[in-house]
Amino acid sequence: MTQFEPVLLARVEQPNSHTLSTYEAAGGFAALRKVLGELDPAGVVDLVKRSNLRGRGGAGFPTGLKWTFLPKDHPGPIYMCVNADESEPGTFNNRILMEEDPHQVLEGTIIACYATRATTAYIYLRYEYPLAFERLEAAIAECYAAGYLGRNILGHDFSLDVYVHRGAAAYICGEETGLIESLEGKRAWPRIKPPFPAVEGLFRKPTVVNNVETLCCVTHIAARGAEWFTSIGVPPDPSNPRDPGSFGPKLYCLSGHVNRPGCYEAPLGITCRQLIDEFGGGVWKGRKAKAAIPGGISMGLLAESELDTPLDFAGPVRAGCLGLGTAAVVVLDETTSIVDFLHNSARFFQHESCGQCTPCREGTAWALSMLERIRAGRGRLRDLELLLEIADSIGIIPGTTICGLADGAAWPMKNAIRKFRGEFEEYIRRTNPAGAETAEPVAAMAMESVHG
Amino acid sequence: MATVVVDGIDVELGDRERLNGIQAARRAGIEIPHYCWHPGLSVVASCRMCLVETGTRRADTGEVTMLPKLVPACQTPAKDGTVFVTHSEKVRTARAQVEEALLIDHPIDCPICDKAGECYLQDYHFQHGQNERRADIRPFTSRRRDVGETVTLFVDRCVMCSRCVRFTREISGTSELLVINRGSHAEIDVVEGYPLANKLSGNVVDICPVGALGDKDFLYRQRVWFMKKHASVCTGCSTGCSIEIEENQDQVYRLRPRENAFINQWWMCDEGRYGYRHVHDPNRITTPTHRDANGQMPVDWSEVFTELPSKLRSAGRLAAVLSPHLTVEEAYLLATWIRRIDPAALLVLGHVPIVGADEHFPSGFSIHAEKCPNRRGVDEVLNHFGGEAVAWDELPARLEAGDIGGAWVTGGYKKNWVDAPTAEHFARLEILVVQDLFPSPLSELATYRLPAAAFAERSGSYVNHADRLQSVSRAIRPPSGVRIEGDVFWHLLGRRGLCNSRKVLDEVAEKIAFFAPASEAVPPTGLQLKQPQPALV
Amino acid sequence: MPVADRILTDETIESIRAYFPRYPTRQAVTLPALHVVNDRLRCVPREAVVEIAELLGLAPAEVQDTLSFYGFFRQDAPHGRTRVWVCRSICCALRGGEEVIDHLCHTLKVRPGGTTDDGRVTLEVAECLGACDFAPCMLAGQSLHKNLTNESAAEVIDRLE
Repeated sequence: MTQFEPVLLARVEQPNSHTLSTYEAAGGFAALRKVLGELDPAGVVDLVKRSNLRGRGGAGFPTGLKWTFLPKDHPGPIYMCVNADESEPGTFNNRILMEEDPHQVLEGTIIACYATRATTAYIYLRYEYPLAFERLEAAIAECYAAGYLGRNILGHDFSLDVYVHRGAAAYICGEETGLIESLEGKRAWPRIKPPFPAVEGLFRKPTVVNNVETLCCVTHIAARGAEWFTSIGVPPDPSNPRDPGSFGPKLYCLSGHVNRPGCYEAPLGITCRQLIDEFGGGVWKGRKAKAAIPGGISMGLLAESELDTPLDFAGPVRAGCLGLGTAAVVVLDETTSIVDFLHNSARFFQHESCGQCTPCREGTAWALSMLERIRAGRGRLRDLELLLEIADSIGIIPGTTICGLADGAAWPMKNAIRKFRGEFEEYIRRTNPAGAETAEPVAAMAMESVHG
Repeated sequence: MATVVVDGIDVELGDRERLNGIQAARRAGIEIPHYCWHPGLSVVASCRMCLVETGTRRADTGEVTMLPKLVPACQTPAKDGTVFVTHSEKVRTARAQVEEALLIDHPIDCPICDKAGECYLQDYHFQHGQNERRADIRPFTSRRRDVGETVTLFVDRCVMCSRCVRFTREISGTSELLVINRGSHAEIDVVEGYPLANKLSGNVVDICPVGALGDKDFLYRQRVWFMKKHASVCTGCSTGCSIEIEENQDQVYRLRPRENAFINQWWMCDEGRYGYRHVHDPNRITTPTHRDANGQMPVDWSEVFTELPSKLRSAGRLAAVLSPHLTVEEAYLLATWIRRIDPAALLVLGHVPIVGADEHFPSGFSIHAEKCPNRRGVDEVLNHFGGEAVAWDELPARLEAGDIGGAWVTGGYKKNWVDAPTAEHFARLEILVVQDLFPSPLSELATYRLPAAAFAERSGSYVNHADRLQSVSRAIRPPSGVRIEGDVFWHLLGRRGLCNSRKVLDEVAEKIAFFAPASEAVPPTGLQLKQPQPALV
Repeated sequence: MPVADRILTDETIESIRAYFPRYPTRQAVTLPALHVVNDRLRCVPREAVVEIAELLGLAPAEVQDTLSFYGFFRQDAPHGRTRVWVCRSICCALRGGEEVIDHLCHTLKVRPGGTTDDGRVTLEVAECLGACDFAPCMLAGQSLHKNLTNESAAEVIDRLE
């Protein structure tokens, strides 16, 4: 596994990897030339469809299929939004790509815009990535100067403008329609669907929203072909006709209680344990793992016994997690309190909930207030039932919310309490012996608000 | 023809109808609870109270396939074959959870909250909510923050349905209200220096499903369960918004708009909304008086009915001024009676107050410059009776000719409408009858000064600017001593009992072609007398 | 508005206008405009909100609505000369991030969100900064500081002007 030759991270160790000269010297923009010379837009869409590339932003939706949702013969304009808001805790692969190899991102963007006939691309970049901002702006300027952006790119009847649009520290701006609303200048309240962005998106025009890493994959698919892409990863489960498989190289972020946190490239499908041991140097301080987040905090928790779960689009679901998400693995060693973990998670989601729909707005706040009370030594066993009820009822999967933030808030609660029930019960009994068993409502605690 | 299935009941929808789940369910007599949806505003589907199960029924086999997840009924179109399930356990659980979620941080304000009795949160808690409180107890009362001169906000009662914000963006087009912060810290607010101050501001209180927005005019004045509602029409301008008058024991407390797709949709303007205070003004004329050396001295109605007809008969040429505040029926009765006494009597349309220009709002709602409800109707009655045509502005000069000996002037205006110099021209008349709400330079000159009815006290019909006729029944009794114009003219005409406006309208519809469509029963939203002409480009 | 009464300088206005050609609507310039003003004034006072609204053809409520959603923009008073964002999300918390926050609050004598008396530093807590490979970390102005300990974090802050 460790012999896999990196493709997405191939250049990041090189000096000045973020400059155009280094990129071109390594063969950069050959893919674009090839695509513009040999394929029409429909041909590129077909190529990406055949590669079975699935979005790397968290949802894993087949990219080529998403592109086909755009209306045919639309008078335009069509917009591309590059989702560089990367705010899922544990995730930093897009940061590395943008800081160290921005032209790879741009080349993928340009090819994707050619395929989708987009005439303007906005890179929605989170505010907290100042170096990525600097490097992207510089790379964009280089591209305009070299004729890779602007009017009649490389002499073809294809023009494109790319702008970086900086966010302001809101996780919900990583949600497709939250991003669109934010770009339009409004509060980032995700939209109800239908209509979907492909039909009515940014400025009410057809829009495609793609993740940074996904677009980098597009570059390599254009360079090396769909067959190359499908030679890497995990083929579809034969018993499931709707499984598109998990193909291509994947950037895995590894952090938490490991010896070597970092971003590692491997084919889709390595197991969590392989990532930790073979790439990450194992759990730190000679300890054992207690649990691991499989794909960004929204995906939930794998218990130690589940660490052999393959990290492809299907694996984590079989272990009761929400999915592969951003493939960001965070390791919790045996000394970690799961109660503290869940509190940290609940605090994050309460802070980031946009507040539009009732189950998420009130559910995340209620969950946090219960966890604060538990940590303050005033928890009840009954609270665990209430937390599970909240977790089981909020989200787009049951259909009770507008977007998936609620599902992300729910899964850590479901997994932590169900997989570590004993620890929660012990904690509550130990810290609140007198009040643990009561079923009566208790007085609320005042909550310290950091926001606003 | 499309068929939708709601809880197993087939509902037929017209081909061109575009309804959502809530509207389709209503046709089946089922009310799906909801906070954020409003037929006049954009759909946001954010409260999640209207979640239902949905599916499709195949026309050929009748087989029903349901979707696994819940959907908001407000954003689900009711198409041919759509199936809605509104009462399964899954739906009831989801509803109870939403209701519980809203109550977690809701202040314990019911005993001091205006909305009690007409509050969605209260009603849905009883109908759909959890049986016990499961969240931590936090007794507190709401903070209050004024958002404008007429509307106040009880911040913590808000359920974030965003109806009020959408109203100011989509209906009034003034965008004063906003949401600040995010998540559970979200609140409604205004920008300092830019308060809620548009002409439709009061509507946000109507559409607020809970007691967060309060109308300062109504605040703490009356519990809603003590009030009776009466369908009526606003008399503030010629738009003629359909309204509801809410009163308790003949005291008007509140006016609210009534839905009328033809006129005002769901809205009314602030001037109309708060334009009822004159009804209970202590300065109202409440008893008939006769002028003698000591001024206006009270007399009995019996004297009025005995003396007036003969006095007018012996005055020679008569003039009658028919106020645009009179109903069609009242105008018709008065004109009929005056012409009976003097077949050549001058019939004059009373003063028509014009203030500013017509105003049109983004949603299609309008306020008209003509600040009276029935100029159109009175005009057409006068056209029918014919005769010498004189406008109110020309009347003072016309009186100078000296041939007119007596005049009957009707008013009913909210405020002073005639100045002393104009009134002076009437001084030479042998007999002057002024029937009005408030004393004025003209009424003080009257031989007989009679009280008039305020809009909430009269029954009859009005015709608005677009030739739409609406009929109202009185909501309250007038102050003791006041007889409404309809009753007075009816009595003078020798008809028995109290004025029956429907009978008068039948007569009017029969005799005057313009009013012919009104021979049918008048629906609550009125009926069109003439089709509005398309605008000439 | 006469120049003296305005809070936005000509330069600021020109910087905002520079964004107009990028978008088909002026409303889309809202967030860039807020950043332009915030970069210069270290806050976006309500008077600026009104002027931005005027420049973009929006109601003040529409700009204020967006501004307050983010929690990023202060309005009542400028933040310190350097804004220090210390991450409190799970990866940093697992490697001592909360202790760093507590330590900095203690040494700077501020609560999270507070500014030191000398106006030098505003200490903020941030959600995942996306530098989990170097947890615990903080963003001081535009510089990312990695693999912090209580001491190294305090040292970085000491060196700020």
